Amino acid sequence: MNISPTEAEEALAAIQRTMQKTRHSIASSGAYVFLIVTGIVWLVGFLSTQFLSGEIVAYIWIGMSALGSALSILLGTRRGRRVRSPSVNASAKRAGIFWLLLVFYGIATVAIARPTDGKQVTMFVILFVMIGQLAMGLLLSFSSVWWALPITALALVGYFLLPGIFYLWMGVLGGGGMIALALYIRSRW
Amino acid sequence: MMAELNETIHQPVRLRIMAALVALEAGNEVDFSYLRDLLQVTDGNLGAHLRKLEEAGYISVNKVFVERKPRTFIAATAVGREVFQEHVAALEAILKRK
Repeated sequence: MNISPTEAEEALAAIQRTMQKTRHSIASSGAYVFLIVTGIVWLVGFLSTQFLSGEIVAYIWIGMSALGSALSILLGTRRGRRVRSPSVNASAKRAGIFWLLLVFYGIATVAIARPTDGKQVTMFVILFVMIGQLAMGLLLSFSSVWWALPITALALVGYFLLPGIFYLWMGVLGGGGMIALALYIRSRW
Repeated sequence: MMAELNETIHQPVRLRIMAALVALEAGNEVDFSYLRDLLQVTDGNLGAHLRKLEEAGYISVNKVFVERKPRTFIAATAVGREVFQEHVAALEAILKRK
């Protein structure tokens, strides 16, 4: 079979375009959407904690968390309908059990340590969630989980060095950082 | 040894089907309708090209029931991935000789 260099060039360009389109399509319903959802939850939740007071803050967190969870489940289900990964399916149950156990251990730790203020509780939650994210990345090879490290570093800097604006810090840099990272992941794909 | 062009894969629609499947992680499979929408081809056209690729052993077609509905999932086989890479290498070699 013989083809001209022009035909070869066109074929390679078609391959490149299709591969890019496929990756982009998968990424657009994958990690980056979850990062945006979580980022918005953090942004709204932490900013309201910084600037509002009273029961309204708890309601905002509950509302945003419920909305975020529902959206994540919906997007995850939609993605699962289009692309199936046997390795992920086989590990999904174990991952679910892991997260349930992590929540149990987190609650037990908070109950024993008895944190004295909201910032400490927030830090416990952030650290446990980020440990979970890192474990998923290291054990199951899920892509785009390395972001847990910079988010943890940001949280620690805010907690120890900027206690007065901790929630603002977490909202803008933690939540905003996740959104920016999601946009970066999308553009890179 | 020089990589050779593969006539089965070189057909434009089949080339794009293989490119889309190879872009996935090994072992992952995509839904038929997802692939159809991605490549913007008709059901019949896609089905015919998938049969050719399946006969050549380059893809695997997995028909299952999900929530009582029939679904078809497609993945590139190890042979398919290898042959596709050889085809790409052959295309690149042609360009280098230009």
